Amino acid sequence: MLDLHDKIETSAAMIRAQWPVQPHTGIILGTGLGGLVRQIDVEATFDYDEIPYFPRSTTPTHHGRLVCGHLQGLPVMAMAGRFHRYEGYSLKEITLPVRVMRALGAKLLVVSNACGGMNPYYRSGDIMVIEDHINLMGDNPLIGINDDRLGPRFPDLSEPYEQRMVDRALEVARRENIVAHKGVFVAVPGPNLETRAEYRFLRIIGADVVGMSTVPEVIVAVHCGLRVVGFSVVTDMCLPDALEPANVDKIIAVANEAEPKLCALVLGVLAGEKKNGRRPPAPGPMTKAQ
Amino acid sequence: MTNRIAANWAISTHVQAAAVAIRDRWAGRPEAALVLGTGLHQLTSLVQAEAVIPYADIPHFPRSTAVGHCGRLVCGRYGERSVIVMDGRCHGYEGYSPSELALPVLSMRALGAQRLILSNASGGLNPKFASGDVVVVADHINLLFLKPAQMGLPPSALAWDRPGYTPMYDAILIEQALDIARCENFAAHRGVYVAMTGPNYETRAEYRFLRRIGGDVVGMSTVPEAVAASACGLRTLALSIVTNVARPDCPEVVLAVDVIRAAERAESHVRKIMAAVVSQPWPDGE
Repeated sequence: MLDLHDKIETSAAMIRAQWPVQPHTGIILGTGLGGLVRQIDVEATFDYDEIPYFPRSTTPTHHGRLVCGHLQGLPVMAMAGRFHRYEGYSLKEITLPVRVMRALGAKLLVVSNACGGMNPYYRSGDIMVIEDHINLMGDNPLIGINDDRLGPRFPDLSEPYEQRMVDRALEVARRENIVAHKGVFVAVPGPNLETRAEYRFLRIIGADVVGMSTVPEVIVAVHCGLRVVGFSVVTDMCLPDALEPANVDKIIAVANEAEPKLCALVLGVLAGEKKNGRRPPAPGPMTKAQ
Repeated sequence: MTNRIAANWAISTHVQAAAVAIRDRWAGRPEAALVLGTGLHQLTSLVQAEAVIPYADIPHFPRSTAVGHCGRLVCGRYGERSVIVMDGRCHGYEGYSPSELALPVLSMRALGAQRLILSNASGGLNPKFASGDVVVVADHINLLFLKPAQMGLPPSALAWDRPGYTPMYDAILIEQALDIARCENFAAHRGVYVAMTGPNYETRAEYRFLRRIGGDVVGMSTVPEAVAASACGLRTLALSIVTNVARPDCPEVVLAVDVIRAAERAESHVRKIMAAVVSQPWPDGE
């Protein structure tokens, strides 16, 4: 794990050379949610294969571009296309971009995903602001010798998603008349969708939605000192006693339809960031090391 | 030869090599093996050391990288008994494979140990527990996602010298430990230990999940060693110190230093149980 620090610095240097801006926010866009990049005043774009050590996205609906520019007047870098464990990447590879965002100076991470809704009060197309998560991936991106320059050995995860941001996102949703819930995301490795028995199990243990991403990135974000806000778009309902066969085209259609709502929430949350001014952030582990 | 058999063969030669290296430095035959968890390093002072062997000197042994873990074997006398103590343990979150974690236990068994006492620091899930309480592990839930083949247990280990079903944690030792706690007047509970990979501490949603499935305490160790011990016929006792009780509805930040301090405060209780379990006459007459 000790070579990770050098990889991060190499990737960050490559991006900094072409886009010499300190990002405020890093954004990771999930399945069918890449359209937010159209709202960005683009200043630089990188294909993942141009950036050293970045893995390449293999899913059909993920583009695999890093888009840098301004959104709501804030400098942002957005990943259109994300990496999943089921594609065969290690969690360290998947989470490297998050560490690069932090190394470039980002303070906030916005994550989004498409997920299956298990809470019966949810509807397909609703948005859930992630309040907390359960890691059932059977893996953790922090396994290995800890590099203390990157973060602590045993990060606390009592508030991985900043409660203040959850409240702010819900407030924006009410204002914009968007149906949004607050709930628990559970991450499984996939790639198969769950059985009915598994949906019942995941519901019993306290999850509202289920997906195959996000948790590794969030664990690493907390490890390296980023604040996190997360959005799940419910693309199909997974009610075990009335389960319909999953249809990937339909899931992507729902995600595309829900996308304007996600954009509105992200823009609203970032507007709040700007209003609150640029209070100097607490020095993170990366800045200390430099 | 399938990969699995090849892996098993490799680990049994590794176990032999490690055992030989230890025997070269210490001629004793251990009766009991102790594994000291977070904050329990002081317990080595009870041992009249005859040899101290850093893990680095033993072939195939994993190295301890965690905070508060030394990484050495202390071999010697503990009262009347001959013991071997792992001062500092290795964890899955440090990047070790299950077979690497099993190797020290299998090696100590190969040297002759009959009993294993494991200790650890854990987070309390059961609201009836308090910080500093001792939990005598009655059973565990393995959420480490270990694949059995990865344990790499030698085929012979699976039926070493105890045919039939061996409970993971020895019922007699559990009773003995609880007896001692009552006599010495400190709180000890029987409980279920859940093992998670870590290294992050759990989220609130995860605490609720683990409580709901029957966990009393949660930690990041012990299960790989217990599985290996059970496979090779060691009678096992596991003691867990509750360092903090998780209250997911009014969360507190968990810091590694606080965990270590809480474990150190409860050290004397673990010490009493270990001393008694090792030195009292063994009920099975071993």
